[in-house]
Amino acid sequence: MQESVEDKVKKAVVKVLKVDPARIKPTSRFAADLGAESIQSVELVAAFEEEFDISMDEDEALAVETVGDAVTFIGKCVREQHEV
Amino acid sequence: MSHAKTKKHELKDVTEPNLWEGIFPHDTVPRIPFDSAIIEEIDGKRVTFSPHAALARDIHITDTTFRDGQQSLPPFSVDHVARLYDYLAQLGGPNGVIRQTEFFLYTKRDREALDRCRSLGHRFPEITGWIRADAGDLRLVKEMGLKETGMLTSCSDYHIFYKSRKNRKTAMADYIKVVEEALAAGIRPRCHLEDVTRADIDGFVLPFVSRLMELSESVPENQRVKIRLCDTMGFGVTYPGAALPRSVPKLIYRMTHDAGVPPACLEWHGHNDFHKVHVNAVTGWLYGLNAVNTALMGIGERTGNPPLEGALFEYVQLKGATHGADLRVITEIADYFANVMHIEIPPRHPFVGRDFNVTRAGIHADGLRRDERIYNIFDTTRILGRPPRVAITDKSGVDGIVLWVNNFLGLEGDERLKKVNVHKIARWVLDQYEIDSRTSAITDDELAEQVRIHLPEHHSRHHARSKR
Repeated sequence: MQESVEDKVKKAVVKVLKVDPARIKPTSRFAADLGAESIQSVELVAAFEEEFDISMDEDEALAVETVGDAVTFIGKCVREQHEV
Repeated sequence: MSHAKTKKHELKDVTEPNLWEGIFPHDTVPRIPFDSAIIEEIDGKRVTFSPHAALARDIHITDTTFRDGQQSLPPFSVDHVARLYDYLAQLGGPNGVIRQTEFFLYTKRDREALDRCRSLGHRFPEITGWIRADAGDLRLVKEMGLKETGMLTSCSDYHIFYKSRKNRKTAMADYIKVVEEALAAGIRPRCHLEDVTRADIDGFVLPFVSRLMELSESVPENQRVKIRLCDTMGFGVTYPGAALPRSVPKLIYRMTHDAGVPPACLEWHGHNDFHKVHVNAVTGWLYGLNAVNTALMGIGERTGNPPLEGALFEYVQLKGATHGADLRVITEIADYFANVMHIEIPPRHPFVGRDFNVTRAGIHADGLRRDERIYNIFDTTRILGRPPRVAITDKSGVDGIVLWVNNFLGLEGDERLKKVNVHKIARWVLDQYEIDSRTSAITDDELAEQVRIHLPEHHSRHHARSKR
């Protein structure tokens, strides 16, 4: 079965931030709740781009605050870049 | 506690930012506009100084690199002096923004250096001498054929009583004698009122200077005695209301108004013992003197003299024009100091230090990356040939690293890499500090190696380009 966008996002978050998957909720904020430091935010964007084979506007991607918003944002990028 | 009624201030939301480009044009040096007069209370009277009138005068810079500057360092070679003199001529330009420079005359090398500089044929900076107020020293000035010389006329009781072992009357008589001899020989005397910020202004300085002005009445205008106010120990202050003898404004006012010294005959020479050397000097322009004495890189006895390059930038900011000065020469001189004369320039020294436009904080680097104007004082690349740089430490963040990498690779516009492209290098840098407990900055060579490892295609292109 194909992994969902949400599952892939969670997998990248666990890998980069080294957090317990159980802590990751759609409302979890990367910095405030999951402890993402500045460099880890950039590493997350890089991990998402690699995982989904997409290119994201860096400023917009770094402005995303929660896991749920990341799923939405990445889903939109995937549709735009892979389903044309 | 009651609050004074104040006008209600409404936020003015705008669609275009107000960058004050008239004051901060960025492609040229910033301006210093004045919108009011300067007011001081002197001897119980309210005295007004007009900045606009001051800036309309022939204000200029004089140089003491070869005298006070050299005095604080091992002796310069004749070649060094001649090269620096040539640089000063280029820097100050044909209109004499750097008007004069002064030389010791005591050793064979001093005199040879002076002759070498004179043989270059530059009109500016004019070459003058520096002597003690002594008939023997004056002979040296005559022999060298100089038209003007500074002479040491110490005026505080510290110097008169304890250094010269004289009293005020004999000191003044001795000084006047040498001044008269100089005038008789057609040499313009420039009396250096040593330690004036500790002197008795009414009891010694004004009587002495007034006598010098009387002597000046019988000579042609270009030979009138000049007065240099020497803040030998850096005690001068510019605070309005500060008292004599430390007040720079009041000292100047007493000279121009009570002793009748014209601005063209009045100069300031300071030292940096209390970190006030630059502001004391250039403020003098606004209060009524024309000449500010300086030394390249601020070298000079103990804490140094006003940095010439600082005075030059102040001049351009105040006048709003270079008047022929070539500011790019400042960087050439700094390179010559550091690489040929091996004189260390403090890294943070404004305009010339290695790090004067280097940022280390990541948030500042981010600002530089977005728009140079946010964190660079002006277009330092255009004006000084010094692009802003980022030094990499644990505080640099990914913002600092992406700026460094783009500058290193010479990438412009859309070619510029994003933060996401350099995250592996940023991680390596951070690990240096967090895992390896490093305490030094990352060197350019180390970063270049990281670019080679993590961005091999960009590195190869850069390598190929730099070989061409």
